[in-house]
Amino acid sequence: MQVSTQSEPPAIRAAFHLTDHNGRDVDAGSFRGSFMLVFFGFTHCRVVCPRALTKLSATLDALGETAVRVAALYITVDPDRDTPQVMRDYLRAYPSILGLTGSREEIDDAKRNFRVFARRSSPSPDDGGYDVPHTAITYLLDPEGRLVAHFNDAIELSDLIQRLVSHLKHY
Amino acid sequence: MNNPRESHRNGGFPHPSTGLDRLQIGHLRHFANLSRQAPNQWDLMKGKGYGQEDFGGYRFQLAYMAYALALAHRHRLPAAAGVFKPIFERLIGKMLLPEVWMYWRDVSRGGSIFNAHLSSGYVEQWDPVIRDNIMYSAYLQSMALMYHYLFDDDRYAQPGALTLRFWSYFWGGEEKRFVYDEKSLNAHLYWQMVESGYLGVACEPNCTFQICNQPAILGFRLHDLVYGGSIATDVVSGYEQAWKDFGRIGDNGHYNIMLAQDTKAVRPNIGKAVWVDAWCGALMNMWNRDFVHAHYAGQAKDFLKSGPDGAFSVIAGERPLVMGQTIVSDSCDFGWMAAWASEMGDDTTLRGLLKHADRHMSPSWSNGGLYYPRNDAATDADGNATMIEPMSGNVLVGYARLNVPDGLWRFYNEPWDASRFAEPALTHVSDDLDVSKAWFDVVANRLEFSLDGRGVTSDGAVVLGNLRSRGCWSLHRDGTEVARGDSDLPGETSGHVDLQPSKDGLLLRHLDPGPGAYVMAFEG
Repeated sequence: MQVSTQSEPPAIRAAFHLTDHNGRDVDAGSFRGSFMLVFFGFTHCRVVCPRALTKLSATLDALGETAVRVAALYITVDPDRDTPQVMRDYLRAYPSILGLTGSREEIDDAKRNFRVFARRSSPSPDDGGYDVPHTAITYLLDPEGRLVAHFNDAIELSDLIQRLVSHLKHY
Repeated sequence: MNNPRESHRNGGFPHPSTGLDRLQIGHLRHFANLSRQAPNQWDLMKGKGYGQEDFGGYRFQLAYMAYALALAHRHRLPAAAGVFKPIFERLIGKMLLPEVWMYWRDVSRGGSIFNAHLSSGYVEQWDPVIRDNIMYSAYLQSMALMYHYLFDDDRYAQPGALTLRFWSYFWGGEEKRFVYDEKSLNAHLYWQMVESGYLGVACEPNCTFQICNQPAILGFRLHDLVYGGSIATDVVSGYEQAWKDFGRIGDNGHYNIMLAQDTKAVRPNIGKAVWVDAWCGALMNMWNRDFVHAHYAGQAKDFLKSGPDGAFSVIAGERPLVMGQTIVSDSCDFGWMAAWASEMGDDTTLRGLLKHADRHMSPSWSNGGLYYPRNDAATDADGNATMIEPMSGNVLVGYARLNVPDGLWRFYNEPWDASRFAEPALTHVSDDLDVSKAWFDVVANRLEFSLDGRGVTSDGAVVLGNLRSRGCWSLHRDGTEVARGDSDLPGETSGHVDLQPSKDGLLLRHLDPGPGAYVMAFEG
């Protein structure tokens, strides 16, 4: 058996190969040179995602012109339902955020690289619908694709804006 | 709590001016004695089970000695960092020894009744913290961060400071080396928590125990206290939410033991195993006090057996056969019950348990240290419970004696002010001395400490540190002034005391084989 003789804890890697909500293939290199704000979720999410996307949108609004330095990405954890078209329609309410989707394998790769939890729950006996409980962390990556901060769901808008501005200023 | 001299000032909370009693000092000395054993010498520490797989493993003994030291330092001997720091360093050093963690190479392969059906997906894993095994990784994480927090020393934050190495002359090929430090290990555990949806990290593959994720939460809190941030709050919030679906408590009112990751089936404490509730309650109290206290009485009543004169023993449950096999392992029921009662401030139960231990569990003294030696016999000829494991007899009974009501809760929720690092204190204490009192009275501006050469003093060295900005002082021993000085320089002495300047402070030699109660009063 091949045994690992050395190891280090796996770091967050901004590695993904997905399709954006306009149907274009994208990977982390597509956004190189910009900060990335990355949030995982799914469009059927009733509470966590709308709250997070609203907060992210407000944060980007608060940045004003500086927001051009930031790419805000919403990666689905529900690729079976969240096609590019579904994501595009859903994100009309959050126009500064780009939706990303892909095959199950591509999404699993992205989740693994960001160390994200998401697990599909049992379907409802009523309509067959299901939830996908998921990690509600917003990742901030610098223009080199390195994780520089992550923000929990509970962070206040003002705090998020302040911390983001600080990172942008000190880069 | 069990110290009859304790004055319960401060709302029932023992004040450090009370100091330690003889038994508490004995437990501290025993911890120090075990920590001083040579590498791979584990005298008095081996339990019933094979290897290091069960709850009596060396890692648990080392970790809970460290936790007990932290509680004693925080609540009872706050001005005696010099007593605790070197013991802590030796315990962490032992945690890094392969004897402590190499069980993981085998356990990682699965094959227990909890994960045998998944074993084909597991690979042999030598790195004991890279996945699962929170029953080791969280202790290493929390001990290192606890050290940093208590002693303001970042040695385990240095790159590679927590490196795990294995190499054998006899087998295994090249060296295995797994490189961590307190920050990288903490981050790794945090992201494992995230990946689990905050349900927690597994111990054995597929087994997420409630108990074993509590030390990681303590570690996160210590990380927040050292570095800032709110990891602990985030994790606790997620953990609460995640466990809502499963319930922390089973239908019989006892804590659920664990969750199977693949089926999401909760394993309840059907057999009313003492250790499950007691261990979980003793730890979870740190962040969930109201909940733990609310269930304590109802749970504990199932575990306690009354004896004469207020004594209590614990009711040891029968362990069922598994695959036709008898389970041979240490449950540590008695010790965990005592530790839990101490955290709950249940003085009646704690006193009763200690009374039973002192009558029927052969309290023993060795090199000034107090312990209860391993005894595998369930009862004596008169039917009194006598079984005690090294984890209980070396560690947990001492933990219970040294703890204070809600001691871990206070440790977690009432951060120690960093100003303590500038206060006069015993910053070095030689191994031959016992310290039964050490606290700095800010109001009276004086350092009180009591030393005992315990009949064997040879070095008797104590460094009194952080004196430079304190101005003139007078030193009294047993009520009589014996010296005067300024900052860390001795001036006039009476001839009955040996004081010398040293690079770290004022060196006092207590060469008297007996005790001495000292007060250093500052005039500024």
